[in-house]
Amino acid sequence: MKYLAFVFALMATPTSAQVTADTPNPFESKPDAAEAGHALFGKMNCAGCHAYDLTGGMGPDLTDNSWQYGGKPGEIFHTIAEGTPRGMPAWKDKMTPDEIWQVVTYIQSKHQ
Amino acid sequence: MRRALLATILLCGAAFPAVSADTPPSASKQAEKSFTGATANLAPNDPAGQWTRQARDYANTRYSPLTQINKSNVGRLRVAWSFSDGQMYGHEGAPLVVGDTMYLVTPFPNIAYALDLSKTGAPIKWVFQPNPDPRAIGEACCDKVLRGWAYADGKLIYNLLDDHTVAVDAKTGKEVWRVLLDDVTKGPTLTQAAFVVGDKVYIGSSGGELGTNGWFQALDVKDGHTIWKAFTNGPDDGALIGSEFKPFYPWMKGKDLGVSSWPGEMWKQGASAPWGWVSYDPDLNEVYYGTSNPGPRTPSQRPGLNLWSSAVFARDANTGQAKWAYQFTPHDEWDYDGVNENVLIEIPWKGGRRKVMVHFNRNGFAYTIDRATGEVLVAEPFGLQNWASKIDLATGMPVVNDAAHPVVEKKVENICPPDIGVKNWNPSAFSPRTGLLYAGVFNSCMDLTNHIVQYIPGAPYDGMEMVRKAGPGGNWGEFIAWDPVKGKRIWSIKENLYVWSGAVVTGSDLVFYGTMDGWFRAVDARTGKVLWSQKLGSGITAAPMTFTGPDKRQYVAVYTGVGGGAGVLRREKGYMPGGNTLYVFSVDGAGVGLGTSQLVSHAEAAAPVSVPPAAAHN
Repeated sequence: MKYLAFVFALMATPTSAQVTADTPNPFESKPDAAEAGHALFGKMNCAGCHAYDLTGGMGPDLTDNSWQYGGKPGEIFHTIAEGTPRGMPAWKDKMTPDEIWQVVTYIQSKHQ
Repeated sequence: MRRALLATILLCGAAFPAVSADTPPSASKQAEKSFTGATANLAPNDPAGQWTRQARDYANTRYSPLTQINKSNVGRLRVAWSFSDGQMYGHEGAPLVVGDTMYLVTPFPNIAYALDLSKTGAPIKWVFQPNPDPRAIGEACCDKVLRGWAYADGKLIYNLLDDHTVAVDAKTGKEVWRVLLDDVTKGPTLTQAAFVVGDKVYIGSSGGELGTNGWFQALDVKDGHTIWKAFTNGPDDGALIGSEFKPFYPWMKGKDLGVSSWPGEMWKQGASAPWGWVSYDPDLNEVYYGTSNPGPRTPSQRPGLNLWSSAVFARDANTGQAKWAYQFTPHDEWDYDGVNENVLIEIPWKGGRRKVMVHFNRNGFAYTIDRATGEVLVAEPFGLQNWASKIDLATGMPVVNDAAHPVVEKKVENICPPDIGVKNWNPSAFSPRTGLLYAGVFNSCMDLTNHIVQYIPGAPYDGMEMVRKAGPGGNWGEFIAWDPVKGKRIWSIKENLYVWSGAVVTGSDLVFYGTMDGWFRAVDARTGKVLWSQKLGSGITAAPMTFTGPDKRQYVAVYTGVGGGAGVLRREKGYMPGGNTLYVFSVDGAGVGLGTSQLVSHAEAAAPVSVPPAAAHN
């Protein structure tokens, strides 16, 4: 029983609070995750700040390699979930951890 | 459809050749003649050398009667001194000069400086740091800017990005009052230039892209308390629309149109934020200001006229009661707004004279409107546009080109202008000597794909995906002289990028403006001939001004520091890095910063250098 619980813990997506800078993106190799993230990027109005091509405007460019709050998947997750002191809203109450990871996957897909 | 649009573009382009001039006046007797007979009330008629409000007068002319700098010596303008404020967001305001002091306020974090013009090098008298809430940074759509500041009753009064208005003692730099006007975490910010008349300071909210509920209010100069507040949209009561409201056109008459011209309760997020300029007519005792685009920017989500977005209001300055309104772009589908400056002038009209306002709308039409009634007298294209064939003067309605309607999830090509407009908030100038207006304008189009968006407080409420491109000729910008009576250009100067600076025109018929690629120019107001240009350290998106120093010398000043909405061209060739330097020019660069006025004017005779023997160190 304990073993099973341990396996489940490994399989389940970490909650927002459990994600660290080094947490790997659980959606990285999942097909369609980037496309799902793309849809969320529009639906949640991310494009309003970062532009539909992610090159920025009101908010920073997400296609270059300059990351104010870190460019590792876990760091991008953290920035989306918690927001930043300089105006990025916190999205952890508006998107599930899975959805945030999908958006992270979409952003990562622009860096390949 | 695309061919028809292109044909319109080419026709428009052909109408405005590179540097055009309608028979420039050649005879010397023509030199002093007005092109149009238009004049202006320059109240409050400050002393000629002072510049105590952003547009210098209530009418928003940005006309200075100074003549010391003129066509014979303008070629000798050099930098007298400069001042860098260290802040890197876009700089948009003009310095104020009151007495012997110059007042500057930076973009966020909105630090104020008073500089002593009577002393060598114009040293800092005081600095005021208001420390606004940094969460405001993420809520300002188009850079973290401030378009200006006001002086009144011994106070410097201005907006902070985080929705406070603050008043600072102009002598000491100490805070006198600070009032909170909205909740920045929900999207509204304050970027507007506070405007003072008498005991009231007029403030308008920003946030056209953030699903805000736009408002305009009058605060008491003494303590900042709200005297009246008018929401743009919503029920008539909140919009201060009552028995005095008499719009000229029937389609703007009716009860609670600010509700019924929207689906459901969408007016609550309908933005229509009055973030632009305010002007004032002392005879009618009315203030005039425009409102922003409706939210969201995707029009299919908000069928209806969407009153009172993209409109202009005339209000009683004391009570705020609306006198009339006019919606420039009903059911605005392209983010054209109505916030640009309203320049108050008087024109000859059908044998009489009319008190009018001239308004260059982003939609590409320049309107000359009777400001007593709201009747549109003239509405002609002042640059490249193809969304409407004309403004029907009988109804006040645009005749919209079918090919220009945006479609959700489909790219519609070559709509002109793009959201940025044929001209943005960058203020024009009017000369009562030439009877012309002078404005920086844009020459561009967009391919537009719309998306459905949802309202999330504090997040953009937008939906427009655009690719902007230069119009015919390949030049993004121009600087033009405009006849507000006939509704036509007199001359124009092509520039590589959008001309997003303000303008100032002087009593010696010189017009000054700046470019985003860093050129500051002086132009003959009658012919458009460029008489002087100086390359500066960053692009110019601020308004220039001119003043007389305590040394009785005329200076011209302009802030560099490209940014704001102009950042949409940041990837174009020639777009300069940001900056934050105020440049102050005079003939030969003479003045408090140079020459014999300096404290140290010669070196001491060099004394022999004696090097002590090494042993002396032991």
